[in-house]
Amino acid sequence: MHGHNFLLFTTVLFTIATLVVGALVFRFYMEDFRKSGEVNEYDKYYVMITDSYKADFWQSVYKGAFEAAKEQNTYIDLLGENLDRQYSCEELMKIAIASKVDGIIVYANESDEMTNLINEATQEGIPVVTLYGDNTHSGRISFVGVGSYNIGREYGRQVFNIIKEKRREDFKDSEKMKQRKSMEVTVLVNTDAQDSGQNIIISALQETLSQENATNSEFNISVVPVDNKNAFSVEESIRDIFLNEKIPDVIICLNELNTVCAYQAVVDFNKVGDVSILGYYDSESIVSAIDKGIVYATISIDTAQMGQYCVEALSDYHEFGTTSQYFTADVTLINGSNVADFLKKEEIDE
Amino acid sequence: MNRFFNLPLQKKIVGIYMGANILIFIVNIFLIFGINIMAQEMEMVYHDNRQLNALSEAIADVQDSMTVYLSSKTTDSLENYYNSAQKFQNLSEAIGVQVTDESFSRMRRNIKYMSENYLSEVSLTIEAKRGRNVEKYRNHYEKSTELYDYINAYISSLNIEQFVSNSEHYTELASAFRTFELVSVAVLTLVMIGNIISIIIIVGMLIRPLKDLADSADEVATGNFDTDLPEPLYHDEIGIVIGAFNKMVVSIKEYIVRLRESMEKERDLQEKELMMETHLKDAQLKYLQAQINPHFLFNTLNAGAQLAMMEGADKTYEYVQTVADFFRYNVKNQETEVTIKEEVTLVDNYIQILNVRFSGDIKYEKQVDKRLLKTAMPSMTLQPIVENAVNHGIREMGDKGVIKLKVYREDSNVCISIGDNGKGISQEDIDKILGGSFAHKEEQYEHNGIGMDNVISRLRLFSERPDVVDIKSEGPGKGCEVIIRLPLPADE
Repeated sequence: MHGHNFLLFTTVLFTIATLVVGALVFRFYMEDFRKSGEVNEYDKYYVMITDSYKADFWQSVYKGAFEAAKEQNTYIDLLGENLDRQYSCEELMKIAIASKVDGIIVYANESDEMTNLINEATQEGIPVVTLYGDNTHSGRISFVGVGSYNIGREYGRQVFNIIKEKRREDFKDSEKMKQRKSMEVTVLVNTDAQDSGQNIIISALQETLSQENATNSEFNISVVPVDNKNAFSVEESIRDIFLNEKIPDVIICLNELNTVCAYQAVVDFNKVGDVSILGYYDSESIVSAIDKGIVYATISIDTAQMGQYCVEALSDYHEFGTTSQYFTADVTLINGSNVADFLKKEEIDE
Repeated sequence: MNRFFNLPLQKKIVGIYMGANILIFIVNIFLIFGINIMAQEMEMVYHDNRQLNALSEAIADVQDSMTVYLSSKTTDSLENYYNSAQKFQNLSEAIGVQVTDESFSRMRRNIKYMSENYLSEVSLTIEAKRGRNVEKYRNHYEKSTELYDYINAYISSLNIEQFVSNSEHYTELASAFRTFELVSVAVLTLVMIGNIISIIIIVGMLIRPLKDLADSADEVATGNFDTDLPEPLYHDEIGIVIGAFNKMVVSIKEYIVRLRESMEKERDLQEKELMMETHLKDAQLKYLQAQINPHFLFNTLNAGAQLAMMEGADKTYEYVQTVADFFRYNVKNQETEVTIKEEVTLVDNYIQILNVRFSGDIKYEKQVDKRLLKTAMPSMTLQPIVENAVNHGIREMGDKGVIKLKVYREDSNVCISIGDNGKGISQEDIDKILGGSFAHKEEQYEHNGIGMDNVISRLRLFSERPDVVDIKSEGPGKGCEVIIRLPLPADE
């Protein structure tokens, strides 16, 4: 009797348990399914507009800005990333204004069109922060950039180092002493940019060289414009330099793409050792090029800090109605002497 | 549980059936519910894409109607514009503006705001066209066209991205559906198995008492009333039948016992009566045989006694008188029960006669408690025992033979002891006499016809105790004693 009762009880319990477990499994399964679609919601929406969202430099700045924004429950988009077509900064500005975002971070230039767009956005109540490239005449609330003067001075010191090395070699070889010629320093500048930063860099470079006791006969700075208006023209422009009779001794690049193109051109034209490249930005390929001795030195910019400043400026504006006009991100020079540390650090970061 | 089992059989069976069905029904409801949810999810998979396509169509309508209006300014196109603009506005208003981690949500948000801007641009364009402000409407047209392009670019990008993600979602859903199918089949199967097992057990529990009852009924049918009766477990119809069956078996058993007892009693009674009658008849028959002469003899003796008196022979008279009394007792005593006194008197007479005959050879000693003399006892018992003692004990001893008669009380018994100092009797013979298997010598002379076995049987019947007569002998030559123990009457 008891055995039967127990068996019956167990069976009924088992049956009900199966039913309940089945229902629960299904329920949790479905809930799990829906939960995957659930996401955080943010209060504010900023966009970052750059000339090329794929560039390492911009990605890195964006990452810094994204982390900073997330802390304030704000989402920041690298505008144009999700679109099929490639849009210019100006077009993206228009999209951003039409989309009524809460803040725009734009890699600006001094063109009138950009000024107008920034002003239009300001009129619409959208604060604009210029990043890296400024538009001084516009109603942008803040500029986040690198200290161009400092960069120029760093370049100047590096150029002087190169000059000193050359002097030493020349002293060793008296033959050469007689044929001493001045060092050709070429600065690659973008054609489109009425960018004050570039000018500041060049003047700081000159200033440093003269301060460092380099005689005018020892160097000759020339500015070579690089056409960056069209999609692939940068690379062509840089190669053109190497096709000339006179190849410069030092090439100073003022952005990441120029650096990479110059470096590749030096390799392709077999001019490693003859041409010293002073690069810009510390992307992996550039740092490894320094390690190999192809690039003489490069400027490392604290991109995360840059992104942070952008977000800080926008949220300050939203909170207090005003913010600092200028933010300057830290720069570090990387050359043969400290490249190993950088490589190590990158490895750790990875 | 027990309450369920105590329900009537019909309700129980219906209950089991309904329980099983309800369980399966519940499982099915779950299944349908699950399938419904799944189907809803599936339906919603490409919902976003459809929404975007509708949006895209609507904005194209707006753009087209505006262009047509700008180029031809027809009323139709204006109407078309208003309709399509309204439709587009409704669609764009439905879009959410949340900013989340999902790129879709942000793109949708941008599309919504751009659409608002676009609509206001378009309405400005139309207004300017109506006001024939060529410069202005061209400007607005360009702006709105630009926005139109951006929105389209956004929509198509979003559409493609969402299609990819939705397709993934669809694949997940499809696999989820398959999992669900499997789980459902497993659950359904398990529930079915559980159901079947439960039904088998419950039905088994219901039927088992009936089986037990059938087994017991079989046993009882073969006549074994002492079989184990099944316990009525539940108060259903089966329980009632089992209870009734049990009661029936018990009462049949009781009835049989009672019947047997009463029959036995009756038989005992009849047997006793018959035996008493038989023995008395036997004794009477013997007496009658013996009385044929005594009657005549008694009369003759009376005449002799009177003659002796007339002649003055006193002793002869006394003797003849005693003989006459002795025989008179025999003749008159037709009753089975007499008092001890009457019996003792008969023994006195008998001894007196013998002493005349054998010239005072026998010594007769008598110790009688006179209070006990009124006690009843069967007639014709003491004289045959004394006769026995004389004949078999002291006959050959001449004048040394002694007969002792004692009537005394021992505990709650009235004892009558007849002893002699004759040749005794062996234990073997005592056992034979008490067992009733002693060989009679009927033709012995001077025997009054009543044997020891008859006396013992009658005494046993009278007192209803088997040890009423005891014979003691201390061996050959040491005499013999017969003790009769009668129960003391209740009033004494």
